[in-house]
Amino acid sequence: MSLRHRLGTFLVAASCALVSVGASAHAILVDSSPKANGTVAAGHVDIVFKYNSKIDQHRSRMTLVKSDQSETTLTIAANGKQPNELDSGVDLTPGTYTIRWQALALDGHITRGDVPFTVAAKP
Amino acid sequence: MELLVDIFGYLSIILHGLVIVAQSMTLGGVLFLVFLLRPFMHLLPQGADLERRIARLTIYSAIGLALSEIAGTALQVAVLMSTVGLSFSDVMQAPFAVCGTVKVICALLLIPCLGNRISRSPLGAVLPLLLGAAELTAATFTTHAFARLSDNTLLLFVEGLHQFGAAIWIGAIPCFVLALAKLKDADGWRIVGARFSRMSMIGVASIIISGSIMSVYYIGSIQGFYGTAYGVMVGAKIAMFIALLLLGLGNLMVTERLRKNQETSVIRLRRFAEVEIGIGFTIFFAAASLTSVPPAVDLTNDRVTLHEIAVRNAPAWPRFTSPDHDTLAISQMQSQLDKDAEQRHAAAAQANVPGSGILPPRNAEDIAWSEYNHHWAGIFVLVIGLLALINRAGVGWLKHWPLLFLLMAGFLLIRSDPEVWPLGHEGWWVAWRDVEVAQHRFFVALILLFGLFEWAVRTGRLHNPKAALVFPLLVSVGGAMLLTHNHQISNVKDQLLIELTHTPLALAGVSAGWARWLELRLPGRGGRIAGWVWPICFMLVGVILLWYREA
Repeated sequence: MSLRHRLGTFLVAASCALVSVGASAHAILVDSSPKANGTVAAGHVDIVFKYNSKIDQHRSRMTLVKSDQSETTLTIAANGKQPNELDSGVDLTPGTYTIRWQALALDGHITRGDVPFTVAAKP
Repeated sequence: MELLVDIFGYLSIILHGLVIVAQSMTLGGVLFLVFLLRPFMHLLPQGADLERRIARLTIYSAIGLALSEIAGTALQVAVLMSTVGLSFSDVMQAPFAVCGTVKVICALLLIPCLGNRISRSPLGAVLPLLLGAAELTAATFTTHAFARLSDNTLLLFVEGLHQFGAAIWIGAIPCFVLALAKLKDADGWRIVGARFSRMSMIGVASIIISGSIMSVYYIGSIQGFYGTAYGVMVGAKIAMFIALLLLGLGNLMVTERLRKNQETSVIRLRRFAEVEIGIGFTIFFAAASLTSVPPAVDLTNDRVTLHEIAVRNAPAWPRFTSPDHDTLAISQMQSQLDKDAEQRHAAAAQANVPGSGILPPRNAEDIAWSEYNHHWAGIFVLVIGLLALINRAGVGWLKHWPLLFLLMAGFLLIRSDPEVWPLGHEGWWVAWRDVEVAQHRFFVALILLFGLFEWAVRTGRLHNPKAALVFPLLVSVGGAMLLTHNHQISNVKDQLLIELTHTPLALAGVSAGWARWLELRLPGRGGRIAGWVWPICFMLVGVILLWYREA
């Protein structure tokens, strides 16, 4: 291969490099029920947290924090059909609550966050 | 442990960077031995000695890989055991732990395979290649490709190709530098240079093909490229990749001259290759820090527009007066908590608990405080660059310019984290749980170290030539670490707009470090040019800092 051809190879490489990436990233919450800062009716509340990645449901955690800062660990349902969800359910009375979550993505990255919401009395 | 999750998360990024470096060097070493050195060993007078040295370097890399992988996996396992309440055996069955274990076993098994006895046997080439392939496969299963909701097989293959490309090119450069240093004749340089040039091209092609495919799946659009933290970090990687290609191009021209039997020196080849190692490893840390941000394609809200970037970066006069500490949001919150506690005759709660994961409040005064810090830091760095330039032009007594780094470090230590001692309520030790505070302290330590070393070298207090290399190395490390720096701000857009300023800062820092390295190591015109480049890079850092805005 001549020097000119090799130079050409490098120039093409340089321009194509504009799309070169590395690719590893953590799970983010893309949707949730209850919504962050949303309101739900008192009674049984289904909790569905949806992520952008497959989650190791068994090794993740959800905690319900009440307004008096007391905490209850929620049981996460095994849901093989929705591998990107953390699902649970709990009976709630009116008040303000926060769900503190910690998700282990299947690639091994741990992320966590809070979803605050309000429970209103049934009309 | 709950309060250590954030700092452990940051440590895991650093460890992940070390794993990528060690993995690339291990695989690069194996590939260099199997495809370059052993096939041509009979033609190289110092071949046997070189093989022993490169095998030893690869063994050290494999040990580094095993240790960093054990540390990274252990950190994750400890966090999961304590926060989710799982047993050790349960966590060790998680896919990331299984892959980590496989990587460690492969790295450890490589050590005897690179020894004299097995390398002389018929399996001497096959075994290291098989172990390398197994390690690489396990590594791809700890990337995001494994956790994506679709196209996992394609993305896993592409991830593997990307890491293979990094290993055969960047990971093998240390072996190449070693070979150039130990070989004494033009024939040897010609053989090694020509074959390594081909290996590098395979690496570049692998990176470009895999990078192109991943950009489609992980970035998806032009706005994803400039409007998300993921895209900006990829932009930094691309800028450094182009720098590597340009250095590689320079080296290619030298190997071409060698191939045509023209008289040429390999000193530039060696020095450029050293810089390639440094920039390549910085790319690995940028890749590791990508683990802390979601792929651009998943971040559909909170993207920054070009208009917002232009508005944020519109020229404005720097801020040289600081707001009062009492007016900061956290000070006001603490004072309210103190008042409430006094009324209740109870102990006051802390306004901010480091490591709690709850982001501290911010107001306009906090923004003014931070801008003031950045702008004065900008003045420091601008003056340092200017004095270094004038010193280089011949004003001898300005050789004391590195002392300004010490002043700057003191300023940053006191002002960077107003909620922490000595200005704030938080204690010195407890604040280590806060990732941003830990990063600031790391930067202060780096600035102190490289400032002191450079001053001691310039004033003749340190005579060892290697002492002069501490300054460029630590400046480059600082630049690389800046790529992993993040501000604890809840607004995703604001965080990105800050990152848009910090990424060029990091790149200018890395450029300054390696230009100074070349000034010290490369004789002739190239070194002289590099000697003018690095003070200008410092001045550029100063200007970017003066330009910095948070609102």
